[in-house]
Amino acid sequence: MVIFSLRQMRAKELGQQQIIEGLKSHDSEIVDDFVQQFSRPLFGIILNYTKNPSDAEEILQDTLLRVIRKIDTFRQESDLWPWMKRIAINNSIMWLRKNRSIRQREVHLEDFTPQFSEDGHLEHPIFSWPVDPEDIILNTELASQLYEAIQSLPFEYRTPLVLRDIEGYPVKQIASLLGLKEATAKTRVHRARLFLREKLIKYFEGQA
Amino acid sequence: MRTLFNCKECVDLLMDYLEGNLDPEIQKKLDQHFAACPPCVKFLDSYRACSEMAQQLKDQQVRIPLELENRLKAFLKEEIKKV
Repeated sequence: MVIFSLRQMRAKELGQQQIIEGLKSHDSEIVDDFVQQFSRPLFGIILNYTKNPSDAEEILQDTLLRVIRKIDTFRQESDLWPWMKRIAINNSIMWLRKNRSIRQREVHLEDFTPQFSEDGHLEHPIFSWPVDPEDIILNTELASQLYEAIQSLPFEYRTPLVLRDIEGYPVKQIASLLGLKEATAKTRVHRARLFLREKLIKYFEGQA
Repeated sequence: MRTLFNCKECVDLLMDYLEGNLDPEIQKKLDQHFAACPPCVKFLDSYRACSEMAQQLKDQQVRIPLELENRLKAFLKEEIKKV
């Protein structure tokens, strides 16, 4: 998978008002520009929830269509991008809920959690984390490893983690979006982070 | 009553610890444990790093094929004609 920074994106940027008016009047030129400007960032968000490209394409298509169909309900004083992003996230969550039973792979989180002795002490030596978190911007291999690790999480853990750590939603909002108790949402984010940590440690050990 | 947490108790509370959601008494117990347990400090650093690395993915984008972009444009234009 090719990953690059949003800052490196080259797109013909349309103003918010132009997009809204163009989509409302079904101006086909604006629809083209709208797809060109927003399909990539929206696709990036959707791929955090499902790595299957054909599923992501289906969700993206539905998201863009929903934006056009709902544009009349958009409050002009708000920002368009967070509104579109929410539609993409909701679509992804709905899609995953509908399809998880047939697509979910069996991953045992217990295999990727820290081990403790009977008296609660860490069993294995803990090594110092070898990279600065910001290095991931330039290190595409590391970014891919992290992305793969996130994708290998079961739906129940992946979605809360993506919402918390990638999208930056507060736990309370995650719980409400996913219909969970706040404590459950928090536990899932925590366990997902422990899983990622173990997965990345295995990767770093392989690099050493 | 024990005054110090063990490693497992600390690890269980890391998320709340990093987000500053702990009761000051509990926070103090964790700080005491970290002061005496270098492996847990390393664990905390790596846990925090994972979360921060995931945050960096927010600025990452994937390329999508031009063919898909064209398909989406054609699909949307067809759909809006139906309205």
